[in-house]
Amino acid sequence: MIEPVALQDFFITFFSSALIIMAGASYALLFAWSKVNTNLWIKIAAYCSYSILILSVMELTRAAQFQGYWLIISLVMVIGYFFAPIGIWYLCVKTHSDLTITTEEDTL
Amino acid sequence: MNTSGINGVIQKATALYETSQVCMNDFKSWVQLDSSHLSDGQRLAVKYFIVAVILFFAQILFGLLAATQFIFPGFLYEILDFSVNRMIHINAMIVWMLYGFIGCVYWFLEDESGTEIVGLKLGNIAFWVLTGAVTLVVLVYLLVQIGPGKDSSLWFINEGREYIEAPRWADIGIVIVMLIFFYNVVATFIKGKWSGIAGVLTLDLVALAGLYVAGMFYMTNITHEQYWWWWVIHLWVEATWEVLVGVIMAWSLMKLLGVRRKIIQTWLYIEVALMFGSGILGLGHHYFWIGTPEYWLTIGGFFSALEPIPLVAMVVHAVYDTGANAFKNSNHPALAWIIAQAFGNFFGAGVWGFMHTLPQINMFTHGTQWSASHGHLAFFGAYATINIAFFYLAIQHWRGDVWMGSDSQNTWRWKWALGLLNGGVLGMTIALLIAGYEQSFIERAVEGSTWGGYFTAQNHPSFQSAMVWRLFFGGVTFAGFVLLVWDLLTIGKGETRLAPEIIEMR
Amino acid sequence: MNEIPLWASETFWKKTAIWVTAGSFLVLVVLTMDSLSKTSAGSKRVPAYSVINKKIDYQYNKELHKFMPVISENELLFGKEYTEQEALQLVDLGKKTTQAKNCMNCHTLLGNGAYYAPDLTKAWLDKGWVSKEVREDMMMRFLMDPEKNARTFGSNRKMPNLNITEQEAKGIIAFLKWMSSIDTNGFPYNFKTINAEE
Ligand code: HEM
Ligand code: HEM
Ligand SMILES: [Fe+2]
Repeated sequence: MIEPVALQDFFITFFSSALIIMAGASYALLFAWSKVNTNLWIKIAAYCSYSILILSVMELTRAAQFQGYWLIISLVMVIGYFFAPIGIWYLCVKTHSDLTITTEEDTL
Repeated sequence: MNTSGINGVIQKATALYETSQVCMNDFKSWVQLDSSHLSDGQRLAVKYFIVAVILFFAQILFGLLAATQFIFPGFLYEILDFSVNRMIHINAMIVWMLYGFIGCVYWFLEDESGTEIVGLKLGNIAFWVLTGAVTLVVLVYLLVQIGPGKDSSLWFINEGREYIEAPRWADIGIVIVMLIFFYNVVATFIKGKWSGIAGVLTLDLVALAGLYVAGMFYMTNITHEQYWWWWVIHLWVEATWEVLVGVIMAWSLMKLLGVRRKIIQTWLYIEVALMFGSGILGLGHHYFWIGTPEYWLTIGGFFSALEPIPLVAMVVHAVYDTGANAFKNSNHPALAWIIAQAFGNFFGAGVWGFMHTLPQINMFTHGTQWSASHGHLAFFGAYATINIAFFYLAIQHWRGDVWMGSDSQNTWRWKWALGLLNGGVLGMTIALLIAGYEQSFIERAVEGSTWGGYFTAQNHPSFQSAMVWRLFFGGVTFAGFVLLVWDLLTIGKGETRLAPEIIEMR
Repeated sequence: MNEIPLWASETFWKKTAIWVTAGSFLVLVVLTMDSLSKTSAGSKRVPAYSVINKKIDYQYNKELHKFMPVISENELLFGKEYTEQEALQLVDLGKKTTQAKNCMNCHTLLGNGAYYAPDLTKAWLDKGWVSKEVREDMMMRFLMDPEKNARTFGSNRKMPNLNITEQEAKGIIAFLKWMSSIDTNGFPYNFKTINAEE
């Protein structure tokens, strides 16, 4: 069962949805960057992005009147968008990591 | 009497034919393209690319006509009605993108399989059959337009189903041509060598063609009809097309940047898992309001909330690769369009898609200019861009692998084409976003979607001016297109420096 | 340096891709079978075509918390009671005509299509047809000659003449009446029907 968005919450619904995806991407990028560049500010900016994401999820949860099992979506977004970029980063590193060792057997 | 009339016609026809021959030769000597640089498969690919560009032109032209009718409803009324213009606009889009994709596959098929194309002749025949059929279909759209409410209309005029309007006879023809294409791909890989890219491509083509068949049937029950219709549309653009682009991108990055095959293929699999894992059940976001059971609200909401994840993954990986391969790129326009693809896909599908995908808000945005806003940015950003990038790769090779870098001649042309096309589509998207916001607010929410409510929203000043802005940015898009064609025909002409070859590191 | 761990290897992701795709597709097939059976004509969500013999309304249902079609006493279409077979034929003619005339490239049906003209999901119930007494007649005249019978609400946008015959027009009206009885989970929201008191 859903509770449609109230009239006065239209704008904030669009706005917070867009912000979730954009903050998620910006967190992912900044996180990746912070791994290759040790500048502390990048790390701080990454977590700033992530906190914007949390705020946006909270705002969307309110505006879209999530209740009951719909709250799972909010939870999945908060947790998923935190760990997904980390996972993706390690995937990048590990998939590229055989550069020195396996090149020989690869060319076989 | 009669014979002299016929003679006159024949004379005129030969004269016309001769002039066109002269023009054609003039054109050929002007573009100075040397086809001996191309392999057999690439010559076939180039044919597909040329038709794709012509259809892209048709798309923009009829889009402009339809957009004009929003402002001047009397324009071409009962001559070329909105429905006709719009049908050609979106049909031309689907068909040119498919032509582009087929061209891309023929382009790299020999390279990837390490052998010659098995059914090259058959492939050439299929190209001409398909192109003839497309021409005929468009002529019937333009000249016959509609028919009586009988099966024969659906067989020979149009099926009246958005995006897949092509009449039934053409559907069957398309399926046959696709089977020939599929045979060529699979048989060539079997004869040559098989690879991960080949495997994903084969399975994806099976799915792509199979889905088309799901959209070929007539049904009285509109709920069932739309159920299958969305199988085609959604599972094409949010699953199989995305993976096809992934395949094309994988091969291009391997060639363009020299990324190793093993990494490329691992990432192709990751992308397939994420895309299909979120996209297949994401189909639910079209089953909220067509009569299907309530559980789709939950499934559609949940899985389409996941759909942006693969797009984020791609952006991160792209940035990582850029850092990992301090590459020397010799085709700047192609790379610029690939970057445009990453952004376009992310914003058009990821951000714009998510903004209206939850049923709590889709209840109001459903079937408004909101969908059009998303549709324009997503189709352009995800699929027009990658095709254009590939056109640049192709033209570089056709010119004999010349250097296309920042110090080449007339780089302003591709830069302006890039800016005008992207700026134009983005401008239209924003205009439609404003229109859609207003429409979902006034028509859907306040007025309850009645006939009167619809027109109250359409007559609102903000909607009206949004339509004017859309037409304006349509013009910007058109200017970008003209520049793009000019650039594609001339880029690299007179360039003598060769692009340093990139060695594929295995 | 370091080996590729299993979870970052090509084979692992190949298998994952296959299983995820196959799994999702299987779930979709099961859901499709369920949805198709729950939405066949004559089901609770999608009424039988003979519903065109009945009065149809669309009202807010407090318990279900959404707008729902309400089907009640007899209210014949064109003064005739259709058997199930006749109703199917008439609605089928109407549906086919909407496709042959390309309605969907100006209008939306169930919210899908083009945005140049009003949504047709609940067109049968629209207040634009003034009153139930004149509705059928107005719809017939409009469909057969939309140019002369146009009401553009000040937009100047007129439906073109599509050479719709009398029989086809009847079919379209039957199709629209049947479509308005489909349970669309509360879309469109807050729609006030021709039956509602001012
Ligand atoms: C490249 C990928 C995509 C393309 C090309 C695309 C294109 C489109 C188009 C053209 C429509 C309008 C269909 C119509 O005519 O009725 C549409 C509708 C829709 N799209 Fe996408 N889309 C893409 C990805 C996404 C994603 C990732 C999401 C969600 C996160 C999404 C959510 C939606 C929704 C909810 C609708 C329905 C709008 C309505 O209710 O009217 N799309 N899409
Ligand atoms: C000169 C540029 C263009 C103009 C003026 C234009 C105009 C239009 C118009 C008037 C419609 C009908 C919308 C409605 O039903 O109200 C439309 C639909 C559409 N156009 Fe365009 N268009 C242009 C370029 C493009 C491009 C470049 C693309 C994608 C590559 C595109 C993709 C679409 C799609 C997918 C739809 C269907 C949207 C939906 O049903 O939601 N258009 N366009
Ligand atoms: Fe979709």
